[in-house]
Amino acid sequence: MTNAHDPIDTIAELLAHALELEHESAARYEQLADSMEVHHNVTTAEQFRHLATLSHEHAATVEERAVGIELPRIPPWEYKWSCPGSPETDCLDHEPHYLMTRVEALHLALHNERRGYDFYAQVASGSNSPEVRALAARMAAEEADHIAMLRGWLADAEDLPPRQNDLDPPNVPA
Amino acid sequence: MADTATPPAGRAEPPPTLKAKDYKSKVKPIWCPGCGHFGVLSALTKALAYLQIGKEAHAIISGIGCSSRLPAYIDSFGFHGLHGRALPVATGLKAARPDLTVLVVGGDGDGFSIGGNHFLHACRRNMDMTYIVMDNEVYGMTKGQASPTTQPTWSHSKLTPHGTGVRRFQPAAIALAAGASFIARGFSGDPNRLTQLLVQAIGHPGFAFVHVLSPCQTFRPEQKAWKQQVHPCQLEPTTDAAHAAALIQRDDGMATGLLYAERLPVNQPRNEPDTTIAEIEAELLP
Repeated sequence: MTNAHDPIDTIAELLAHALELEHESAARYEQLADSMEVHHNVTTAEQFRHLATLSHEHAATVEERAVGIELPRIPPWEYKWSCPGSPETDCLDHEPHYLMTRVEALHLALHNERRGYDFYAQVASGSNSPEVRALAARMAAEEADHIAMLRGWLADAEDLPPRQNDLDPPNVPA
Repeated sequence: MADTATPPAGRAEPPPTLKAKDYKSKVKPIWCPGCGHFGVLSALTKALAYLQIGKEAHAIISGIGCSSRLPAYIDSFGFHGLHGRALPVATGLKAARPDLTVLVVGGDGDGFSIGGNHFLHACRRNMDMTYIVMDNEVYGMTKGQASPTTQPTWSHSKLTPHGTGVRRFQPAAIALAAGASFIARGFSGDPNRLTQLLVQAIGHPGFAFVHVLSPCQTFRPEQKAWKQQVHPCQLEPTTDAAHAAALIQRDDGMATGLLYAERLPVNQPRNEPDTTIAEIEAELLP
């Protein structure tokens, strides 16, 4: 098994990681959107659906960058992530809840984008290849843009109502 | 205009590469958001994609419970069976269709309580299948009762207000004692490492048991701490059952990784009859 601290030294390997990161991110948001829909939390479902669309767009950008480059096929357990899952799948730091609000969804996304930024920043400082360091720094800057965008959305959304009460909650332990 | 849909004669189309998302069905999981089982679903689809197992080349069999809903969420053959009876159904399927990769999924209640006897005999029978038990130490679908793997002092169910007072079922130890030839433990919060274990389990010839710690965040919210408590197994996996027994008995139940794997004779019933109907009739009828 590879170590998260092993450097990424080729453009192909970096792009393979970037593509996996965005695909996993999109899949996670779609899964959360589906979950919220199943639990009739329509507003938050729409927010997650929108975040999934953005992740798909980011994946398309990575694919454009990868045109003409043969990407390595990396087994899921060989990616050089610093947490168990890929950086933008929240790595169990947030506990989604069926009553979570749009604002909570945005906070979760902000957390994920920060992890994405940390990943690229780590590659930008740790790679032995100047070419990889440069591309990783550009990708970190893009993640910083996403963070700024999410902060803007959060600033606009902070006044939204808190979680609604569930009138028929699960029989959870006291 | 050329027909681009038909490849020129003599040139075969390359086989399509299946990605993990291709194995997901259109059915939306009804698990609680944050449920550990999402990690198992993710790991399983990644393992299928890694191994490039065709959708028609495998079947997923389950019993009853939250985790047993998993076959509906994968775009392949599936059978959502009776409570505790996933393994007998899977055994019958494997006997009839040895060509299929047979995967069995379920929870701790389904597999170790009502299905406990089937678990023992599936282990010793050693037919070629993979059994994934998503253990959250609770009956979640029926709103939170103690299961065989629940701690004896867990008192949060109205049915057991003072705890069960009963020692816990030890899945790995019992699987080993019953003759399982592959035993691993994974954590749903580490889906990529779990994927590796599933790839190993599916590739193992014989009965492969994968015990997955999969938190129930609704009825066992304290299991959120598992992400800090799980740790890789410190010792190398062994092929020696006595060594594995010592390893499993010593472990705290939170060690993840491959614990034991040994090549043992695989049981695969023959599908061809030994005698024909005509031969039987000739023997029995005057």
